[in-house]
Amino acid sequence: MAVLAFIGAMVVTVFVKAWPSFSHNGLSWFGPGGDVDEQLRAMQRDIALSGHSIYYFRAWPLLWGTLLTTVLAVLLALAISTLAAIFLTEFAPPAIRRTLDPVIRLLAAVPSVIYGLIGIEAIAPWINEHLISSHRKASVGYVVQLNGNNVATATLILTVMILPIMVAISTNAFLAVPASWREGSVALGVNRWRTIWRVSLRTARPAIIAATVLATARALGEAVMLAMVAGGRGFAPNLLDGLTALFEPARPLAATIFQNAEGLTIPVLAHTVYAIGAVLLASAAMLSLAAWASKQRLKRYGVRA
Amino acid sequence: MRAHRTLIVSTILALILAIPAAAAGRRLIIDGSTSMLPLVQKLATAYHKAYPHVQAPKIGGGQTAIGIGDAASGRADIGDASRDPIPGVDPKGLVFSKIARDGICIITNSANPLPNLSQETVQEIFTGSIRDWSKVPGASASGPIDLFDRDGASGTQDAFQNIFLGETLRISPSATAESSEGLEVNAVGADKSAIGFVSFAATINGGVHTVNYQGIQCTLRNAKSGQYGGVRNFWMVTKGAPKGAAAKFINWVVKPGNKTVRSIVSSEWIAIH
Amino acid sequence: MSIVELAPPAPPGPTIARPPRERTTSWPLADRIGYWLCWMVGIGLCLIATAVVLFMFVKGISYLHLDMLVQSPAASGIQSQSGGFWDPIEGTLIVAVLGTAIAAPLGVALGAWLSEYGRPSWLARMVESAIEIIAGAPSVVLALFGLIIFAQSFLGFLSQNASNGAVYGRSFFAASAVMAVLALPLVVASTREALEQLPDRLREASYALGRTRATTIRRVLLPAIRPSIATGSVLGMGRIIGDTAIIRLLLGVSLTTQGVGHVPLIGVLRGTGATLTSYVYENSRAGEGDAPQKAYAAAFVLLMIVLALNALVTWLTSGRERGGERRARLAGLRLSWVPWTR
Repeated sequence: MAVLAFIGAMVVTVFVKAWPSFSHNGLSWFGPGGDVDEQLRAMQRDIALSGHSIYYFRAWPLLWGTLLTTVLAVLLALAISTLAAIFLTEFAPPAIRRTLDPVIRLLAAVPSVIYGLIGIEAIAPWINEHLISSHRKASVGYVVQLNGNNVATATLILTVMILPIMVAISTNAFLAVPASWREGSVALGVNRWRTIWRVSLRTARPAIIAATVLATARALGEAVMLAMVAGGRGFAPNLLDGLTALFEPARPLAATIFQNAEGLTIPVLAHTVYAIGAVLLASAAMLSLAAWASKQRLKRYGVRA
Repeated sequence: MRAHRTLIVSTILALILAIPAAAAGRRLIIDGSTSMLPLVQKLATAYHKAYPHVQAPKIGGGQTAIGIGDAASGRADIGDASRDPIPGVDPKGLVFSKIARDGICIITNSANPLPNLSQETVQEIFTGSIRDWSKVPGASASGPIDLFDRDGASGTQDAFQNIFLGETLRISPSATAESSEGLEVNAVGADKSAIGFVSFAATINGGVHTVNYQGIQCTLRNAKSGQYGGVRNFWMVTKGAPKGAAAKFINWVVKPGNKTVRSIVSSEWIAIH
Repeated sequence: MSIVELAPPAPPGPTIARPPRERTTSWPLADRIGYWLCWMVGIGLCLIATAVVLFMFVKGISYLHLDMLVQSPAASGIQSQSGGFWDPIEGTLIVAVLGTAIAAPLGVALGAWLSEYGRPSWLARMVESAIEIIAGAPSVVLALFGLIIFAQSFLGFLSQNASNGAVYGRSFFAASAVMAVLALPLVVASTREALEQLPDRLREASYALGRTRATTIRRVLLPAIRPSIATGSVLGMGRIIGDTAIIRLLLGVSLTTQGVGHVPLIGVLRGTGATLTSYVYENSRAGEGDAPQKAYAAAFVLLMIVLALNALVTWLTSGRERGGERRARLAGLRLSWVPWTR
């Protein structure tokens, strides 16, 4: 059908446009080597960096930035959402449950640019004032400048953005645990917390995994908020800096595409940006596949997700 | 289905209506330097007022290199360039038409009113040899210096490097590169330890402090008289000699006796006549 | 996310006597820590959500003047002094309406085909996975694809042409088309779900009366699921309104609506403009404007629109079960009345 052809065309064209960038760089496209911003700038001026072709591009700092923010945010969201789901289904008084329902739905509906606005106008300055001291700045000052736009701010806001999905699906999963299992466990003398931990959580695990996959897909695709808040520099935070690494700027893949929107008229830059888009598309497709696979398992438990 | 049919019919109608529109008047597409953006926007509005039947040109940003590239490839009718042409780098066959001159000021946050900088200190700060405000005489800020630079596609960065740093020195790679003039002003205005450079026009409402260079204040009068050293040219770039609607616009802008243009340009820039 | 609904908590069974509430003081330390962690997280979540909403409300209302809603933005660079954001509101409306208008019929057709026909099955599965991929794809990638398509010369009439025939490629048409792709999966999912929930006897009765499958879908099934289609469309519209990436890439970076040519409606659609989302981005500290007051005001308006849409969806969904069931019940009644003719 026409829609299928359309989507097929989309995938094919993105990869075709991305091919020159990949073919000139080979597999080391994914590797480290030089300042990503320098390379992008050289493409913008249409001149080649010394000794390399004009397509020279090493995307590792971007990949590392994406990895860092996404993984941290998903892990944090996983912990928080599981606890929150347990709270909502087991411990919360009905009044709190009734108010929290619409509130979570509201959080999920807020556009990402508003999260970005709050981040850049309220949270980033706060972090700049209170958590980044002169000493910390000076310790990395010869490589990069620190300010409120960094991995920490980005991760915090990203977590808040993906929480609603995960909480909603986890809550559904916990509610779907057969009451008889829980009651049986309590009858055997196990206290409520352990019941939840051992019985409900294990039963809800497939749903929680599905929720995690969905949340990862959302986090990967988030471009606007991260472009505003994550620092805008293609810098790979150096874990050897310890805690300061959290305060270094980064720029995930989707944010890079967003920020280079105006330069897409230059052919070389366009090829590189499309290459980044191809990588994003491939990972989104893989995540979709993983989500589908985990949803198949969910059908056994009758959980709607 | 019925819904489909209505959709198809209305789409066809829309397309039919659009075709004569495609043939009718087009707007000029101009993009490029973000430092020239306010000036060219004012000129475009005045041009439309002077010739009401012509639609005002469409102005975009993207920085100088994008403007030059778009003019060369035909994606834009005119490109704005805030730096002089570079023979080996720019595409061949371009014609640069000068429309104004502009001053570049060094700016710091208003909480740090630095009185003066010599050329040597400017070079040391911007190449990263001096990293801390304690080493800069007259600074009220303390702690590490936050350098703000412009993107590689920027004409202002090129002009700044040529005028203030000279041929060989380059701005420190640890500086934060902003991709437009507005962003640079915002960044310096928001950070107490910041220092950067923008065109004079951006400092008027910017809420930042302009630093004297070599003892001379960065004002329009000093730039016009030639006392202030940091002055650069604004160009409009076309592929080959300007033709058609683009030629009309550029000729209107550079015409010697044009009072409207002169009053607009002289407000925050330097007129060439 | 749109498909997820929080089910109401299960009421306690009337015959099982509930034991007295378990006291946590008797638990081992690890379990008690877990218990209190849960409570902290729960309350924390409440606080975060309230903080976000309150912050936006307070800041937004303090900066919003009613005349901002009808004035156009001032010339760029001096945003904080004057001007409003009528143009961005106009842009948001155009994109939302046009995008949903394209997505809704297509989505309904696809959903109906998938749920009623679904043959050959390999094709159906491929279409399903394709829709899943779109649903999961980042909007920037969709926008990139849109750029390729709309920069082709044969589509030049949908935007502007520059001097050498190079197509500008950015316009309301382009943005709305890609937005439609964005909203498509939501409409398809709603339609499919609703169609699958319709009782079979509706279809069987219609076939028994001699109608073809296509007519059945068109005349019987689709009207029955109208609320679901509406829900799906409104969800899609909500997604469209909240998206910034596609706008930035496909609608140009301007703050006012700038039409092309002299034809009234088409001229605007071929031109570029702004929407509330790109306006908020441009005026925040990350964009050029540096007029946070305007950004907050516009963000508040945006939030109100999104919340209104969400309330609409909730209202539609709450009526859905009852409406659908009622219709199905009535349909069954009606059919059982009709003497078999033919």
